[in-house]
Amino acid sequence: MSGYLIRRILVMIPVLLGVILLIMVTIDLIPGDPAALMLGEGATADTVMKLRKSLDLDQPLAVRYVRYVSRLVQGDLGRSIREGRRVNEEIAEVWPATAQLGLTALVVAIAVGVTVGVLSARWPYSLFDNIVRVLSLFGLSMPIFWTGIVLIVVFSLVLNWLPAGGRGTWTHLVLPAVTLATPTIAMLARMTRSTMLEVLREDYIRTARAKGAGNRRVLIRHALRNALIPAVTVLGLQTGQLLGGAVLTETVFAWPGIGRMLVRAIFARDYVLLQGGVLVLAVTFVVINLLVDLSYAYLDPRISYR
Amino acid sequence: MTRSALVAAGLVVMLLAPSALSGPVGPVRGGTLTIARPVDAVSLDPHFETTAPGAWIYQMILEPLLVLGPDMKIQPRLATAWRVMSSSRIRFTLRRDVKFHDGTPFNAQAVKFTFDRAFDPRSPGRWASLAGPIKGAEVVDDYTVDIVTNEPYAPLLYSVAMLYAGIVSPTAVQRMGAEFSRRPVGTGPFKFEEWRTNDRITITRNDDYWGPKAYLDRIVFRVIPEESARMIALRTGEADMVLVPAPAQLAAFARDPAFRVAQATGLRVVFTGMNLTRPPLSDVRVRRALFMAANRQSILQNILEGAAGPADGILAPGVFGYKPMGLDRLYPYNPQRARQLLLEAGFRPGPDGIMQREGIPLVLSILSARGRYFKDAEITEAYQAQLREIGVRLDVQFLEWATVFTNVRAATLDYHLFTLGWVTTTADADYSMLPLFRSDQAPPRGWNTWRYVNPEFDRLVDAARTSLAPREREDLYGRAQDLIARDIMFIPWYTTREIAVMRANVNGFVPHPIEYNQGFSHVWIQR
Repeated sequence: MSGYLIRRILVMIPVLLGVILLIMVTIDLIPGDPAALMLGEGATADTVMKLRKSLDLDQPLAVRYVRYVSRLVQGDLGRSIREGRRVNEEIAEVWPATAQLGLTALVVAIAVGVTVGVLSARWPYSLFDNIVRVLSLFGLSMPIFWTGIVLIVVFSLVLNWLPAGGRGTWTHLVLPAVTLATPTIAMLARMTRSTMLEVLREDYIRTARAKGAGNRRVLIRHALRNALIPAVTVLGLQTGQLLGGAVLTETVFAWPGIGRMLVRAIFARDYVLLQGGVLVLAVTFVVINLLVDLSYAYLDPRISYR
Repeated sequence: MTRSALVAAGLVVMLLAPSALSGPVGPVRGGTLTIARPVDAVSLDPHFETTAPGAWIYQMILEPLLVLGPDMKIQPRLATAWRVMSSSRIRFTLRRDVKFHDGTPFNAQAVKFTFDRAFDPRSPGRWASLAGPIKGAEVVDDYTVDIVTNEPYAPLLYSVAMLYAGIVSPTAVQRMGAEFSRRPVGTGPFKFEEWRTNDRITITRNDDYWGPKAYLDRIVFRVIPEESARMIALRTGEADMVLVPAPAQLAAFARDPAFRVAQATGLRVVFTGMNLTRPPLSDVRVRRALFMAANRQSILQNILEGAAGPADGILAPGVFGYKPMGLDRLYPYNPQRARQLLLEAGFRPGPDGIMQREGIPLVLSILSARGRYFKDAEITEAYQAQLREIGVRLDVQFLEWATVFTNVRAATLDYHLFTLGWVTTTADADYSMLPLFRSDQAPPRGWNTWRYVNPEFDRLVDAARTSLAPREREDLYGRAQDLIARDIMFIPWYTTREIAVMRANVNGFVPHPIEYNQGFSHVWIQR
């Protein structure tokens, strides 16, 4: 088990080095010079050149890459080109906001998605099941942007129950978390329903019933646990979706997270800030998928890691 | 008409909604004003951050020697008087009763420290690149300081009156280093309190302010990127004022007595420019045809919907040296006449309706960003349809702003036309007339993106740069603008408007023609 963990963590290193290289090369290839953008219209060519020099932008890509990586191994993500601020500091400020939003959305999605999926499978083709299926189709196809605005109009403007945006008390968290969770809820509900229906037809379910297990026990102990594996796999991949969706959700709800920081960094061609943000996201994604893999062993004792 | 009269006419009067309380009420002290705006500040250091989201805040904290009032007149701030010694030196007498928020006394040393810092050649700030050939500050005595330039530079007062020239506390800068840009220390009516990145910046009243103290206890600048979410926050009371409001909702808010809309004619002009080095645009008849095919009135009404004003030149009405070019008289919208001009230039209608000359169809390329300037893409598309009517095909290329920027900054420009905006940041014509049109200012050096070459024009702007007589300068710029109007190389679509929407109990806000000069130190909330 620990050998497996160490191997998985070591594999992350080339992945992250590759991520850094990819961002640097991409930013270098697309037109747009961070120094010229910072100085804007009206700057003289001479000032732009001086600024490029003072920001080390005049160095070749390979030199900048090596410098960046050598600072990175000391845990230093560098200074943002545009803001001159330490990237560590900026990420430490915005990352908790995104983590809070993403985690809440995840919990909401699992709680609602799995419950609804199990209930649908328990009474397939019932009125409840039909409504759920229509709603989940809706939830999957609505763009986050639109869902967000509709929720704001209903719950902030008309009902005045919840704030329209910003980060503060738990009330600020409700609308963005629900918005972000909606597609994942829909996805999980459909996934859980179909795998549950499959599992419920298995022989061991009939065996369980035959030996006198109650309906609830069959559903949760015997069926759900087996049905969860595909759902968990999807959830691991959905984390990427959640992080991507966070960019939009953060924009609609004025949530001060890492997604909006990244968008700003891209438009300013601030590759240092961008790299820092993407690295943190990449690590998160890899770690979550590692946790997903590890959870298989818990859910299904036949799976084990060596 | 004089410039100030024009400005007065340009300033759109506040649309005062009938107040909930009847009878006149004086200013009330106290309360928190929450302002919603689309983006966060990059930094709060005026020497390095010159965009509006930062300037709106740090101008409450830091003060320059002079400021430009909403009437575009220069007013004293940390200086009490000034004397023009020569065309490259101005002597300022400073206030004696001023202390920075950290207790450091304000004096000539602080001014020198500020200018040394901003014009440090090793790490040029944005202000340094906008301010003209400023050399630095020289201390005469404790409360007298000279600002000197490397060469004669008549608009110097305007450079000193930019908000970017805010005087910083030397002790705070030395103590805080780079951190100063996150927690600036100045002399202004408000003090920095807190900055939560991408969420809010809070400033509080400075009770030891040397001048009339602010009414508000606190101002909170919130970031709400989404336009409709910003307007909803105003309706729900989460915000008291919105900067950069949704244009489509302006009329509804103006009608609603619970809100008021304040606006001023801005300083930015958005235009489509022509590249004179690309035939057939080297022919002035073709350029005039392209101008006369443009239905500017329709674009103003149907696309801008009242959120912007007409433009009659590259300068906005509030700029020193502005002269209306009379473009509607010179080149009125007239597709028949435009076609006639193309025929005169040797073009004939082709079988597909596109004009052609020697078998080559009149197809022009145009470069535009989408969303860099208000409605830039929509205008470009409308113009494409309008040109079609005189048999000109426009191939439109929309690129993201950083890419457009790189293209127009390059030594060669492969496009015939380009949609851009320009703001006369110093509010003096020199800032625009020289880098935009002087013969030696083609990119990458300057912004002569059309590659206009005219020695007569060069002589006029050079003389205006060094002259110390404002009357003479105005006259020189007037003649320079006449030359541009004759040789026409751009179609100005609109002049921006600076618009704020606020709840009806917010009083005392006077909109400023310069986007980043919006000030809130006289605002009070009626309770």
